[in-house]
Amino acid sequence: MSLKNKACIVGIGSTEFTRNAGRSEIHLAVDAVTAACVDAGLEIDQIDGMSSYGTAGIYAAELAPDIDVARSLGIPNLRYFGQTPWGGGACCGVVAQAAMAVSSGVANYVACYRSLKPASGTVRYGRPTAIPAEYRYSYYMPYGFASPTMWVAMLAKRWMHETGATREQLGHVALVCRENALRNPRAMFYGRPLTMEEYLHSPMSSEPFTLHDTCLENDGAVALIVTTPERARDLKQKPAFVTGVGFGTSRDSHSMTSFYRESIGLPECTEAAREVFGMAQLGPKDIDVAQFYDAFTATVPMQLETYGFCKYGEGGAFCDGGDRIRLGGELPINTSGGMLAEAYIHGMNMIAEGVRQVRGTSTSQVKGAENVLVTGGLGVPTSALVLTSGH
Amino acid sequence: MSIEYNPKYMKHFYDPVWESFENGFWEGIKQRKLLFQKCAACATFSHPPRVRCAKCKGDRWEWVESSGRGRVYSWTVVRQEVHPAFRVPFEVILVEMDKEPGVRLVSNIIDCTAEELSFGLPVEVCFQEVTKGWALPMFRKVVA
Repeated sequence: MSLKNKACIVGIGSTEFTRNAGRSEIHLAVDAVTAACVDAGLEIDQIDGMSSYGTAGIYAAELAPDIDVARSLGIPNLRYFGQTPWGGGACCGVVAQAAMAVSSGVANYVACYRSLKPASGTVRYGRPTAIPAEYRYSYYMPYGFASPTMWVAMLAKRWMHETGATREQLGHVALVCRENALRNPRAMFYGRPLTMEEYLHSPMSSEPFTLHDTCLENDGAVALIVTTPERARDLKQKPAFVTGVGFGTSRDSHSMTSFYRESIGLPECTEAAREVFGMAQLGPKDIDVAQFYDAFTATVPMQLETYGFCKYGEGGAFCDGGDRIRLGGELPINTSGGMLAEAYIHGMNMIAEGVRQVRGTSTSQVKGAENVLVTGGLGVPTSALVLTSGH
Repeated sequence: MSIEYNPKYMKHFYDPVWESFENGFWEGIKQRKLLFQKCAACATFSHPPRVRCAKCKGDRWEWVESSGRGRVYSWTVVRQEVHPAFRVPFEVILVEMDKEPGVRLVSNIIDCTAEELSFGLPVEVCFQEVTKGWALPMFRKVVA
């Protein structure tokens, strides 16, 4: 028995992405779930399940818990609720859990959501102020090694050394994401182009990264509705089938500080890739467009390698000049602008963009896109999805 | 350049906390010794410590004092302040230990500029007093 094509995403909803939403995480989540219900053609009270993110391991408690979001929506009962932990690593797992819930009959319509307000709220994912005294951080914090940018910089520096990848190649990831954002009126960087000159002359934050290598910090929420293919027939939208799901860790997985493995690569992505492509019975060559988790530029070429689009050491060259990854290239990536240029919603906005590609409604639409890969955060326990038109 | 702690913010210093199975490592630090966890059955090293050996699943461990010698496996130079307790710029290094296969340790280097750092640079441990309570293992260049 397989989960392949047993569930689909039938609604997507979003708030505005902004520096100051002027309302709480719960409020933003309610707005996004409401928009997703409208998009799907569902009554709010038909939602009988919620799949959300657990704590990121390093930050404060979840600020938009399912029970509070459900109460504020007036939903009478949740027949299913579940959380997937590890921040952005979770994003595809949140949809995978919803797919498991509807395909097994535990619930009929599951709302998945992520709501964040690091730009104006108290929990900032790029800053260490809220990191609790957990044993795993004793090896890092006393040394000032205290932010996700620093942690991923340590991995990226070694990867660049081993593979010969260059700053210019990372720059092309940033530029392609920005190009996509310029076509997307929802994007934080809509109307704000970026040149290679600006990229290369931006001051280093934590070498080899500058501000342009790291994701946005914004307020906003995104929600998705997952149900069965049978129920999808009665709804408004063309469904995006959940054709493959995959989770992955590795023998020495830590949360963002996986510095102890034999190879500096991303073995959790290799594991998730095998699972997601195995279930989908598809491979990298079948993928028309990919949404790679891009909290940092370098993780895009690293995922091109681990998801099998090229060999280890070739990811940098794949991004060289940007032609292979931009719209019209062999593998267009992050077509909404991704988290480098659309918004940072822990990947939930990138799953919504995957759905738009299957529907044919993206602002950077890949013609005839049928198979979409979406990936979760890496250097943490990770997850991935293959979304298709269900052909 | 050595990491510089801003005394005004030392109340924010992150006092190490640990799990019971990590006692050996942190008790060693208190005595200014770098001890790593070694499986008593199959001699596999593990850092950070675990409950069972990843290779043979044994749960008997020895805590072996390290020579303190290693090589720079990776590093980052932090140039944008994220907390005022740590004055920028400073370097964070990931050291691969010479005598303990598979063991890497995150730390600071105290006598090296960003420009002098390189992959494979030989380094050795030295304990640096950070607060009254804590001297932490940091590294300096090995002089040939």
